[in-house]
Amino acid sequence: MTFFRSNRTLLITIAVAIIIVFLATRGMSAPTAVSILLSGLTLGSLFFLVASGLSLIFGLMDVLNFAHGSLFMLGAYAGWTIYTNPRLILNTAPLGFALIAGVMLMPIVARKISLPRVARYVAALLAAALVLLSVRDFPLQKLVAFGTTVSGQVVATVDAQESLNAMLTRFALMLVAGIVLSFAWARREKANEETEGTKGTWSRIGAMTGLLVAALVMLFGRDAMEQVVLGTDSNLRFVIALLVGAGTGAGLGALMEFGLIRPLYARPIYQVLLTLGLVFIFDQVVRLVWGPAGAFMQMPGWFANTGKECPAPNLIDWFGLHCDAILVLGRPFPSYRLFIILVGVVMLIGIGALLRGSRLGMIIRAGVQDSAMVEALGINVRRVFTIVFALGAGLAGLGGVVATPFLGVYPGMALEFLLQAFIVVVIGGLGSVPGAALGALVVGLARAYGDQVVLTGIQLPFMTEPFTGSPAIARASTVLIMVIVLLLKPTGLLGKKEG
Amino acid sequence: MPNILALDTIHTFIGQFHILEGISLEVPEGSITALLGRNGAGKTTTLKSIIGLTPPRKGTVKFDNVDVRGRRAFDIAAMGIGFVPEHRAIFRDLTVLENLKLAERKKGDFEKHQGMIFDLFPDLKRLIKLPGGQLSGGQQQMLAIARVLVPDNRLLLIDEPSEGLAPVIIEQMMEAIRTLTSHVTVLLVEQNFRVASQLADRYYLIDDGKPVQNGKMQDLVQDRATIHKYLGAK
Repeated sequence: MTFFRSNRTLLITIAVAIIIVFLATRGMSAPTAVSILLSGLTLGSLFFLVASGLSLIFGLMDVLNFAHGSLFMLGAYAGWTIYTNPRLILNTAPLGFALIAGVMLMPIVARKISLPRVARYVAALLAAALVLLSVRDFPLQKLVAFGTTVSGQVVATVDAQESLNAMLTRFALMLVAGIVLSFAWARREKANEETEGTKGTWSRIGAMTGLLVAALVMLFGRDAMEQVVLGTDSNLRFVIALLVGAGTGAGLGALMEFGLIRPLYARPIYQVLLTLGLVFIFDQVVRLVWGPAGAFMQMPGWFANTGKECPAPNLIDWFGLHCDAILVLGRPFPSYRLFIILVGVVMLIGIGALLRGSRLGMIIRAGVQDSAMVEALGINVRRVFTIVFALGAGLAGLGGVVATPFLGVYPGMALEFLLQAFIVVVIGGLGSVPGAALGALVVGLARAYGDQVVLTGIQLPFMTEPFTGSPAIARASTVLIMVIVLLLKPTGLLGKKEG
Repeated sequence: MPNILALDTIHTFIGQFHILEGISLEVPEGSITALLGRNGAGKTTTLKSIIGLTPPRKGTVKFDNVDVRGRRAFDIAAMGIGFVPEHRAIFRDLTVLENLKLAERKKGDFEKHQGMIFDLFPDLKRLIKLPGGQLSGGQQQMLAIARVLVPDNRLLLIDEPSEGLAPVIIEQMMEAIRTLTSHVTVLLVEQNFRVASQLADRYYLIDDGKPVQNGKMQDLVQDRATIHKYLGAK
């Protein structure tokens, strides 16, 4: 009996949802209804990947990360790039690694040297100048021109890339810039804060060396690596793209939290403004590097077969045929969308397992309720914050790559998914992952149904012709649902945050 | 007896507000010391200043003769200080067992101390799988104290443990605290003078963030005028 009482919000919501779905699809043929349901689950799955991280980050750290949609977008672009032609990453990542490796020197420097304020500002300016020098005349446009972005023009890799010598010069400049930056950043207080000890220092040096070695391997082996990637089976490339997208999200997230958000925990308004600023910055970066137009991603082989034997008559047969569509109740439904649903479900289970079954998960759940008390128990919540931020960002990045064969990549995807993610989080409740799943389900279904209404219109009893609306109706409906939920239950359906 | 804790003229600000103006105190190891004062005197802020949740801007906080002012709260706690806040701060969605396991600082802490903990609070064994939010006030207080007994803590900061509890439960809890002093030191904040006077050997009285007087508890109990002046209703 207590099961029903303690989960009553969830059960009521599901009951209401079933009733609404039933009413809404009356008069629709069963195949259409199921098609809408599956499309709703597909969208919901993507929304969940973005919203779950956003919800956890806000629940645990009280940080409203506006840049979450941008992390989704950047993961998408990174995954798309490595899948279509990795030369952009192979030529730019080494420079990024060099800069990061240089900056990582900071705590080691801080222990020996602490420059006076003026010298530090000069060092910062010097570092900035070195960075600019390092990227002067970098052939970004050419590297990106591999056919699917810049209209028509394709620049062969051998013409797009610079000579190794030129690249090594840039690499060296970046490394020096990073080292100078670490001097600019080093202050005595920072040395005390990172009480690493000798073991910590050695692992730091190890990490720096690892980064530099990886960067040089990428540079020297860039032609070979490009050929390897291009020659690889599209499915393997897709898996790599998924990992790269998630990794980009996680890495960027960790950097963001550590460098930008952490210093501002005492000033939450500035934190929010900063994440908002990042939205604009990331948007422009993407437009600058990849162009404003957007692109499509070639479907991985597993979902690409369009031969005579397709669409596959059922799921079992699909495993052998790898058709791009499967017959669901007689109607073809894109198989890739079923994959998207699968990813969402797997991630939901994975996050649940982490939260319920591991010590870190226990810390996170406790921290969402009262992070000060968790800290008073002797747990380094600051480190947990970074980990959770990275995890949430990684999920968003993964979502971006997963979305790409379905929706393509385009600069507008950041804002579009951010908006829907906010609605999902508000509906589901801040700090609750099951809430994010529930909210994503509701929003996804509303969008799918709304899109169908736009397409075919619904027959209202007092009108002679079906009522059709503009596409905005689908999006507006989700806002309407959010308003209704807020009126009935202000903390969200499954909200867990304390006051 | 050496002082396990010594505060020297600390000043703590919360935002613009100067909450603590020059608070000093010394807690001898193995004792129970009470921090007394009426509502809003700054007692909770003093505890939070010690554990580092509201770090003092001036003065020193010495634990075992090491100045910990300015360190992060998790660093200070890890040195062996347990904090039992006002209103318990039990994690409602975690089970009793999870609340206890979370408090571990080294692997095996809970295993090592569970015998002692369940001896002190046998009820917790029965409630072990329940979510913290389903416990009564008294049970939550037991859990909050049990939590700081899981790791090897040497000093416990306990804030208003009797608040909102029935008299019978308060007696049980006082008995538990008395048993503890064989191996931990306690700094106790209590508005309930009866509880404070029956538990503590020494006291520090503060008012409006400033120190008033301190001494042996048995002396204060006789001084009805002071009790009325600083602990009575305003």
